[in-house]
Amino acid sequence: MKEQRCFVKENKKINENYFLMKIKSEYISKNSKPGNFVMVNVSETFDPLLKRPFGIFKSEPPFIWLYFEVVGKGTKLLSNFKKNDKISILGPLGNSLPEFKNKKILMIAGGRGIVPIFYSIHTYSQHNDIFLVYGAKSEKDLNLYEEIKSKKLKKLFLYTDNGSVGKKGLVTSDVKNIINNNKVDITISCGPEPMFKTLVKKIEHIGTENYISMEALMGCGFGICHSCAKKTKNNNYKQVCTDGPIFKMEDIKW
Amino acid sequence: MVDLSTDLGFIKLKNPVITASGTFGYGEEFQDFFNLDILGAFVLKGIYKNPKSGNSPPRIHETASGLLNSIGLPGPGAKELQKIVKRIHRLTKTPIIINVCGESDEEYIEVAEIFDKMDEVTMLELNISCPNIKRGGKCPAQDEKHTYKLVNQIKHNTSKPLIVKLSPNVNDISSIAISAEQGGADCISLVNTFLGMAVDLDSKRPVFKNLFAGLSGPAIKPLALKLVWETVQSVHIPVIGIGGITSGRDVMEFILTGASAVQIGTINIVEPKASVRIIKEIKDIMKKLNIESLDEIKGKLKI
Ligand SMILES: Cc1cc2nc3c(=O)[nH]c(=O)nc-3n(C[C@H](O)[C@H](O)[C@H](O)COP(=O)(O)OP(=O)(O)OC[C@H]3O[C@@H](n4cnc5c(N)ncnc54)[C@H](O)[C@@H]3O)c2cc1C
Ligand SMILES: Cc1cc2nc3c(=O)[nH]c(=O)nc-3n(C[C@H](O)[C@H](O)[C@H](O)COP(=O)(O)O)c2cc1C
Ligand code: FES
Repeated sequence: MKEQRCFVKENKKINENYFLMKIKSEYISKNSKPGNFVMVNVSETFDPLLKRPFGIFKSEPPFIWLYFEVVGKGTKLLSNFKKNDKISILGPLGNSLPEFKNKKILMIAGGRGIVPIFYSIHTYSQHNDIFLVYGAKSEKDLNLYEEIKSKKLKKLFLYTDNGSVGKKGLVTSDVKNIINNNKVDITISCGPEPMFKTLVKKIEHIGTENYISMEALMGCGFGICHSCAKKTKNNNYKQVCTDGPIFKMEDIKW
Repeated sequence: MVDLSTDLGFIKLKNPVITASGTFGYGEEFQDFFNLDILGAFVLKGIYKNPKSGNSPPRIHETASGLLNSIGLPGPGAKELQKIVKRIHRLTKTPIIINVCGESDEEYIEVAEIFDKMDEVTMLELNISCPNIKRGGKCPAQDEKHTYKLVNQIKHNTSKPLIVKLSPNVNDISSIAISAEQGGADCISLVNTFLGMAVDLDSKRPVFKNLFAGLSGPAIKPLALKLVWETVQSVHIPVIGIGGITSGRDVMEFILTGASAVQIGTINIVEPKASVRIIKEIKDIMKKLNIESLDEIKGKLKI
């Protein structure tokens, strides 16, 4: 991990709330793996004070891409960055997914949870069969459809809360069937906490190996401040920034 | 050549920059960023006798240029830390300071004694000021008599230089500082975090389960500077200034106010290489001000 001043190469507005930012970093792009994240300095002043964590969406040296949702002050500032602006980023951070070969992998992404999933598809689709379940509130939140379609997928299942694209319902609606019908070995999921909670109930005992990518409030991103604690099944705390963000689903206390 | 060294009486540091407890891990986490040899000294995160898991989340909340924390001092316990200290001592010869914590006077004394026996440890910093205690609780640094008694007992049971870290959450910092000095403190460091509070309008609940949390970062610098000034005026032992320091300029302001050294905290979390930058900035400022040693400016505030 390194902290570097990098150049923003593009900050593309995907829709009202979502941006795709291309950043030049030889170091991070060459050293990152699926699951890794970066801490981004969204302001040169002390307000906001803390860097913000973002998953790596795509990495093609010397570039990385972030895909972010504007939800507050920091992400609003990030949306204002323009081509050739300088930005300080720390990374790559966190653990990463293991290597898989000749597996049937179901990826489940809710909303901005598509970020680590997209990177994983890119990495694993060569030697594995990938099934993707991707859901969001409505059509406008279900971005990057074209980018995703361009990937080598065995099957794609789309969901929106209102049915404007794909099926109406939650991403978790049919996972059990999808797993059984396609003899899935491994699941990798990322999304909001309620999605995980539903998912755990549905697939915990189904026999698949289940990986999740978690979010938490973060101060430092590299294991110093202890702010990103998540409780595990045996009532200990794990640090999302260094022990995660990838966890085995059964390790977390839901 | 500018001379950045500073004399605390019992030890001479090569520069006044010490990294603060809880914001620098065990130091080794920062090796990827810079060589620990450049620091004046570093304080390890606070340690109790037994392992502790810390408070339930949320543990932080950002404020305007500040950070509220209710981490609750998670740690591996004194035994495990002894092993870690041996390991980090092999990495650097920079003085290691142990931040001694306790839930009772007995525990403080026990922990202090354990690390007093270690050659790898240069100094002890008595953290009698942690704000992350149960609702309504008080820390020793909020009471003159308790401060005197505890410092005095520890001084009797240990032989390493003792820094006593004070709380800003008091009415009269001078009297607490004097109690620590009379108890036998070799040095005073201040401030620990200011008690603050955050509420969540949506849930109509306090953000933190403990209700109060500790505020740090640039937001507290003027408050810290005032307390450092008052302390310097009331004691004869050296004072280490802490609170909201983010630049070489901030360091020079604390030294001008009378601090012999400083600790930098929250900025380590935000910018891991902050100490490297700050040390360089101090050199640049000294050259610009045309001063060769920090003594030329220390405590020279014109009132
Ligand atoms: C490992 C990791 C990877 C992430 N990857 C992405 C990503 O690829 N794309 C993306 O859009 N977002 C991602 N996030 C979430 C992102 O970090 C937060 O949305 C962002 O920090 C909010 O900053 P803000 O200043 O805009 O919001 P604030 O004004 O600070 O807060 C607005 C809202 O966001 C919530 N929030 C704040 N910080 C976080 C956080 N660290 N995690 C979750 N919620 C938070 C707050 O509770 C509040 O409800 C990730 C978070 C983590 C921990
Ligand atoms: C996340 C965090 C953890 C801390 N842990 C400790 C600790 O273990 N012991 C201690 O004496 N002070 C602790 N502190 C207080 C700092 O050492 C320092 O006194 C305070 O943050 C003020 O300095 P700053 O504004 O530069 O951060 C902690 C502060 C923060 C932000
Ligand atoms: S964010 Fe600081 S320890 Fe994880």
